[in-house]
Amino acid sequence: MAHSDASVDDGTTPESRSTTGGVNERVEARVGLSYTLSQLRRDPTAMAGLVVIVVMTVVAILTFVDAKLLHYYFATHYWVNPENDPSTVKTLMPPVGLTNIFGEGSWAHPLGTDYRGRDILVRLVYGTRIAIQVGFISTAIGLVGGTTVGSVAGYYGGWVDDALMRAVETLYAIPFLVLVIAFMAAFGRDLTYAMVGVGITTIPSFARLIRSRVVSVREEDYIEAARAAGVRDRNIILRHVIPNSFAPVLVQATLQIGVAILVVAGLSFLGFGVQPPTPSWGQMLASARGYLLPDAWYSVWPGLAILLTVVGFNLLGDGLRDALDPRINN
Amino acid sequence: MGLARYTLRRILQAIPVLLGIATITFFLTNAIPGDPIKIMLGPSPSAQQIATIRAQYGLDQPVYIRYLKYLWAVVHGDLGTSIHFTGTPVLTKILQRLPVTLLLLVSSFTFALVTAIPMGVVSAKRRNKPVDHVSRLVALIGVSTPDFWIGLMLIILFGYYLGWLPPTDLVMPWADPATLEHATTRLDVIVTSIQHLILPTITLGTLQMAAVTRIERSSMLEVLSEEYVKLARAYGVKETTILRKHAFRNAQLPVITIVGLQLTAALGGAVLTETVFSISGMGRLIITAINSQDYPLVMGTTLFFGLTFVVGVILTDLSYAYIDPRVSYGEEEP
Repeated sequence: MAHSDASVDDGTTPESRSTTGGVNERVEARVGLSYTLSQLRRDPTAMAGLVVIVVMTVVAILTFVDAKLLHYYFATHYWVNPENDPSTVKTLMPPVGLTNIFGEGSWAHPLGTDYRGRDILVRLVYGTRIAIQVGFISTAIGLVGGTTVGSVAGYYGGWVDDALMRAVETLYAIPFLVLVIAFMAAFGRDLTYAMVGVGITTIPSFARLIRSRVVSVREEDYIEAARAAGVRDRNIILRHVIPNSFAPVLVQATLQIGVAILVVAGLSFLGFGVQPPTPSWGQMLASARGYLLPDAWYSVWPGLAILLTVVGFNLLGDGLRDALDPRINN
Repeated sequence: MGLARYTLRRILQAIPVLLGIATITFFLTNAIPGDPIKIMLGPSPSAQQIATIRAQYGLDQPVYIRYLKYLWAVVHGDLGTSIHFTGTPVLTKILQRLPVTLLLLVSSFTFALVTAIPMGVVSAKRRNKPVDHVSRLVALIGVSTPDFWIGLMLIILFGYYLGWLPPTDLVMPWADPATLEHATTRLDVIVTSIQHLILPTITLGTLQMAAVTRIERSSMLEVLSEEYVKLARAYGVKETTILRKHAFRNAQLPVITIVGLQLTAALGGAVLTETVFSISGMGRLIITAINSQDYPLVMGTTLFFGLTFVVGVILTDLSYAYIDPRVSYGEEEP
């Protein structure tokens, strides 16, 4: 893969660099994609990350189906208790009293039970749904918002660029956790607002990234040609500018999913985000904090679950970056 | 453009950003449902009481008037009076708590840089050797672990199980020895302070450590493959000299960028770390403020979080000059 010799020390981070499209950008994009995928396939750590993500996503979908469509059929029949008591189903709690508080690991409860006698493994499994949902949806919000703002700013330049990027920088200047907390205090403490809030706070990083790419793509001959041929700005941005600026954004998005999972876990830990009794990893850690002495293990598992999931996204993101930026491999 | 003018320009550029932060926080805070006055006065206040308090805090005026008044007051260094800590000026409260958070930030960034820079350099130098794998694994786990969970694990292990370090609270090194139990001299206070600081520092610093290690490694690898490094090798310059004199300094630009960007994550992390260790800093102050719907305090703390970040970014930009004389101040910011 050829790349320009003008590798000036511009202080950009590796993710903001990669080769730009040429005149036959469609052909090149296709070659680029298959090349990228073949590179990725040869990277065992990236594949390991992908496996983690696929497994977690499948688990999340299954628990979603069970919770939303089957009304916790599997949870009640196989995990919680056959003599189901509807009032305890949603909290994934054994209906027969609080007989098994801080139960040790056993065949029935491999990871033991928590301070209300609930099976920790079942709650961990159901927590997957929240983590995956939060990761993908909030990143999608940030991605769409950031791509729109960044490409419009970069494409038009001038005062549009100035106004949009200053606004984005302002958003960036408030530490994101603080911003999301303030946002949720204003609009509501539930998962939807957590996802929207986290999504909004990621707009700046996506916008900055895509803008930096758009500014160079804008000057390419084929954009000039499209403009001369009378193609409307909106179509130029959607069909040419964004696709040709997208590679680093994809890397960023993959990594951002992991970050979003961490942030929402933190929010739930602070009492914002997912509210009890809905099982989420962050909220499990929040309640575990009150029982560090009687049951240290209770606080270990949810953290490990978060760690494993986020490692998955980071491994895949790193792999994508290496595959897209041939210079790192050289 | 000289350094002084550049500094001045960066400070001036920060003003609209701070104005923006004040605007965002003002309108977000105003959207918070519920009435702080009712929380303050208890379940059944008289209409007279409510009206008095509303007038006292200016809540009886329309939003845009309050917004303009707020901005005017902020410019004059007046952040209002806290509702939760009755009668205490918000600025006073923040200035009480700010040093705690700053101490935590400084110590965690010091921890991060002191561990990450050598780790990244060694990792790049011994690429694909065992030490590189270990350091990459540590960095990967570091960026993937929730910081508050690290805190919980450290508390269990070192606070409760081994009993080596205090699991909660933070003692400031300049605290009065008389206020502490086992301290008589300044040295005792400092030792206690360090003991208290270790676990929160690791908790907050791990993410920074991991992020800096990763960027240090990739930046060093890039510089080590540059022509001038190859040339130096061809001339028979010792490898350690190349590393120290030629490669290291040039590799630090992206590292500084990342350190600056990590500041926003660290400020958020401070909220979590202070919660885990029950430390009374800015992070817990903002949580208290939001939970008690203390509008002025929410706005004040958010503004200060933004201010801390803006100052940090300016310092980062200025340190480019120290590291890389090629950076030109006339152009767009690097």
